[in-house]
Amino acid sequence: MFIGTDKLTHTYMPGTPFASDALKNISFSLGRGSFTLLIGPSGSGKTTLIQHLNGLLKPTSGKVYFDGKSIGSDKSALLSLRRRIGLVFQMPEDQFFSETVFKEIAYAPRNLGLAENKIEERVFKAVEQVGLRPENLLDRHPFHLSTGQKRLVAFAAVLSIEPEVLILDEPAAGLDPAGKLMLFNLLSRLNRIEEITILVSTHHLDEVAELADNLVVLTGGRLEMAGKARDILARRSELQDLGLALPQVTEIIDELAARGLPVCTDIYSLSAACNEIIRLKRVDQS
Amino acid sequence: MSRSITLGHYLPGDTVIHRMNPRIKVLVLIIILSMLFAFKSIPGLLTMLLAVLLLFAVARVPFRYLLKGLRPILYIALFALIIFLFFTKGGVVLFRLGSFTVESDGLEEGLFVIIRLVTLVLFSLLLTLTTTPLSLTYGLGYYLKPLGRIGLPAEEVVMIMAISLRFIPTLLEESQRLMRAQVSRGADFESGSILSKAKNLGTLIVPLFVSAFRRADELALAMEARGYRLGAKRTRLQEDLIKMQDWLVLLTTILLLVVVLYMNI
Ligand SMILES: Nc1ncnc2c1ncn2[C@@H]1O[C@H](COP(=O)(O)OP(=O)(O)OP(=O)(O)O)[C@@H](O)[C@H]1O
Ligand SMILES: [Mg+2]
Repeated sequence: MFIGTDKLTHTYMPGTPFASDALKNISFSLGRGSFTLLIGPSGSGKTTLIQHLNGLLKPTSGKVYFDGKSIGSDKSALLSLRRRIGLVFQMPEDQFFSETVFKEIAYAPRNLGLAENKIEERVFKAVEQVGLRPENLLDRHPFHLSTGQKRLVAFAAVLSIEPEVLILDEPAAGLDPAGKLMLFNLLSRLNRIEEITILVSTHHLDEVAELADNLVVLTGGRLEMAGKARDILARRSELQDLGLALPQVTEIIDELAARGLPVCTDIYSLSAACNEIIRLKRVDQS
Repeated sequence: MSRSITLGHYLPGDTVIHRMNPRIKVLVLIIILSMLFAFKSIPGLLTMLLAVLLLFAVARVPFRYLLKGLRPILYIALFALIIFLFFTKGGVVLFRLGSFTVESDGLEEGLFVIIRLVTLVLFSLLLTLTTTPLSLTYGLGYYLKPLGRIGLPAEEVVMIMAISLRFIPTLLEESQRLMRAQVSRGADFESGSILSKAKNLGTLIVPLFVSAFRRADELALAMEARGYRLGAKRTRLQEDLIKMQDWLVLLTTILLLVVVLYMNI
């Protein structure tokens, strides 16, 4: 087990009338180098779960593991943990505090105590990793960027730690479909090329679902399903029972199949759907 | 953590005491507090203490909330007791150490003051535990209204208080979230020199201000869009009707106050 939890339960405000279990008995694990999507509707406990994975929240009961060891509360262990696991918060652009993009991204490596030239190296690398151009960006005010750019800068600000694991909490919130696709392609690239283990939380299944290797489905603080993405996506009725809508293209393809067309139903993205329909046409004509 | 502090003390419930009209509640509290100062003897105060404990039972407040509410005044109470034991002379000598004596009047007055303080705190606690901060603000604000005549914008003051109360939990939550976010970027808010701590604080304060200003802007727009105007007369969605039982409670406390004053106990 590279990262995972064992019977993790988290209660907010224990011992008060407001006490509520945000996570109930969660056990799951992720392998090194995997790309996992954590899916759950609003309030299902995604953020709570994610914040346990780098020791920001302490389990009420149960354990959290990283690289074979249980995460405790020892301060220096937590510090080194956070150098290996980068966590990008929900709406990360709300954390900006610097007057230039450079300073914003340099904050994390500076906290690592690196030399100035090393810091600069990391900033440039991180900016390029997220697909931005360093020229005439680094000196700009982070508040003056577009939402999409801000989001990318916020990722770069975490990538500059050079983490082995990157966890992102709803990174696509507020982006348009094209922006979202671009973002997930970026993550997929980081996963393949840099071999960073990636865990991403998101509200609903859509076309990005098939970019991931694994899916973890959380509703109401309970882990409902976990496993290979394709296997889980195939369990349509269970997903629908949990109130999770399938990608729109999948619904269309399923509908075609239901009308007796010989389509392959294993389709989750627009491009795959297009190819499949073109293939059908060809079969039809010949 | 943040929520537990900031919901103030309010404990949701649906008892007679929770349902009382906040305006009347505030007034009744004021009368009771003056009654506490009218009492001249320990037995009278003890009945009030008993009464407030009973009211807590009626409001179904768990006992540990009382202890939690009393903890802040523990030292003040002890300090008061010591002062009285040392300095108030009279009655029988209870204890002697060289030229230093503890006399019965000192003990009695010390106890008197402590019981009064505890009862006072408990009554106030009862109010804040059973009234939402918002109702409390409106309840208090009602008595500020006459100040409008001498130029104090009472309605606006109440609105400001209500908005502040509304946003304190939000801001605390936000600062906690920011703190976690910066900690994940390697910030250390606990150790390090004062200078580095101050530097780190900037990483919280700047984003907090940014979002507070943005929120304020949005809120102002939303309020104006819904017709809020400075100086305009407002009506409330939930008319705070004063029910028969509210009047009864008020009348009873006033009567009690008169009795206490008259009997001089
Ligand atoms: N600081 C807190 N104090 C008390 N309860 C909380 C706190 N944070 C979250 N909760 C509660 O815990 C549950 C899970 O919240 P969480 O933020 O983990 O959900 P989420 O899946 O991230 O939702 P979203 O998609 O809206 O971000 C919710 O019911 C929420 O009300
Ligand atoms: Mg969340």
